[in-house]
Amino acid sequence: MVIPQAEARQPRALGRIAVSSKLARGRSVLGGLHQAGSSKCLFPRNNTASLDAVVLNTAGGITGGDRFAVSAEAEAGTSLCLTTQACERVYRAQTGEVGQVRNALTVGPQARIDWLPQETILFDGAAIDRRLQIDLGEDAQLLMVEPLVFGRAAMGERLGTLDLRDRIMINRAGVPLYHDAIALAGDASTHLAKPFVAKGAGAMAAMVYIAPDAAGQLAPVRAMLPDTAGASLIGDEMLVARFLAADSFELRRSLLPVLIRLKGGPLPRTWMI
Amino acid sequence: MPIDAAVLTLAQWFSPSFPVGAFAYSHGLEWAVQAGDVTDAAQTQDWIDTVLRHGAGWNDCLFIAAAYRADDAGAVDATARAFAASAERLRETDLQGAAFATAVANLNGTTATPRTYPVAVGEAARAADLPLELTAKMYLHSLTSSLAGAAMRLVPLGQSDGQAIIRALTPAAQEIATRACAASLDDLSATAFATDIASMKHETQYSRIFRT
Repeated sequence: MVIPQAEARQPRALGRIAVSSKLARGRSVLGGLHQAGSSKCLFPRNNTASLDAVVLNTAGGITGGDRFAVSAEAEAGTSLCLTTQACERVYRAQTGEVGQVRNALTVGPQARIDWLPQETILFDGAAIDRRLQIDLGEDAQLLMVEPLVFGRAAMGERLGTLDLRDRIMINRAGVPLYHDAIALAGDASTHLAKPFVAKGAGAMAAMVYIAPDAAGQLAPVRAMLPDTAGASLIGDEMLVARFLAADSFELRRSLLPVLIRLKGGPLPRTWMI
Repeated sequence: MPIDAAVLTLAQWFSPSFPVGAFAYSHGLEWAVQAGDVTDAAQTQDWIDTVLRHGAGWNDCLFIAAAYRADDAGAVDATARAFAASAERLRETDLQGAAFATAVANLNGTTATPRTYPVAVGEAARAADLPLELTAKMYLHSLTSSLAGAAMRLVPLGQSDGQAIIRALTPAAQEIATRACAASLDDLSATAFATDIASMKHETQYSRIFRT
């Protein structure tokens, strides 16, 4: 007789960062920083008026039951650029355990946040519930991207079991501007292979750019896009784009020039290594 | 409302003669045809099926249900607008919703509030005391029918192919509406990425007969 063993619970990683930028002599500098658990924040030097922050997950990835949160605020008139040290890996979770990511950005009046995390790579069996909430003040600007990679293509990995819930919500003064929601449960590879879902794409990204020059950027951005990506201007100041690509390499190839153009300068160095 | 009267009210709302102008919108199908992605009846059916299950079909039913249950549908409408994947998708739901709300208000001698299409439908169904699930089913059936109509002109397809697609997708429309009416806006999910990209590409399509 086989006695069923209780599955060992995965250790739970917790990580929390609260960071803000403030104005000092015309430059954006660190206002406040609180970091706890498996999240660390680094501030590489740069030669710009913007504050660069690099988020690091010392747990090496996310799995079921983990809880991660970044909350960032750019105070009035400041510019804050956030990225990640490396791609985020979402490992196989134990049954019933879901990793949770809650990121929140507050962009003050006349401030700007560039939210440019590197790819989140979903492994087979990953279970994650992720939210990105962005609140914009008056005349606040935003560039944000969320690249997702569906399995490790180099290993030919299929996502036969996935539990992904992903939401991006952008509000200005409490009014919803942009809302994206993805729920993928079960055999995600079969779903993504469908011709009018993702045509077999192994990587996808949502990008949003909110700034007074968004309308002027539409035509040049469109001219840079491959057949598998599209851009649109919603209202006068919001440019949205959706990218599909065979894999993360192809995704970077179409994404990077667009991000560099809209950022108005080079991406954080961690992107280029 | 007695069920016969409810069916007839919904039949009027979703008939092609109701001044919503659904025939003018292809939801991006026109680009998919031009790009060579939709060339026959089987691909047309797959395209509409994807929109119903993973795009506007599922999500619009959630918006109908949320508007139907809300005392003030304003917040639901704001979310529906923010959820539009492209400028043309927003125009499509905004113009059809305004036209629908105006037509219903004219019938009732009331004043219309501009809403996105599913929110206008949910609000009107609640005001008329129509059953929610039947309303959502009829809405999805009319979406299926207008997309099949667009495909008949664009692909092009014959009448019998078009009608066969509508009949084949009717069980899916029923099942999606039933599930959506038991769900909430927490269950919003848009994964028909290729159709969203097509609607963005349609904005620059050189020669076109549809508004979206």
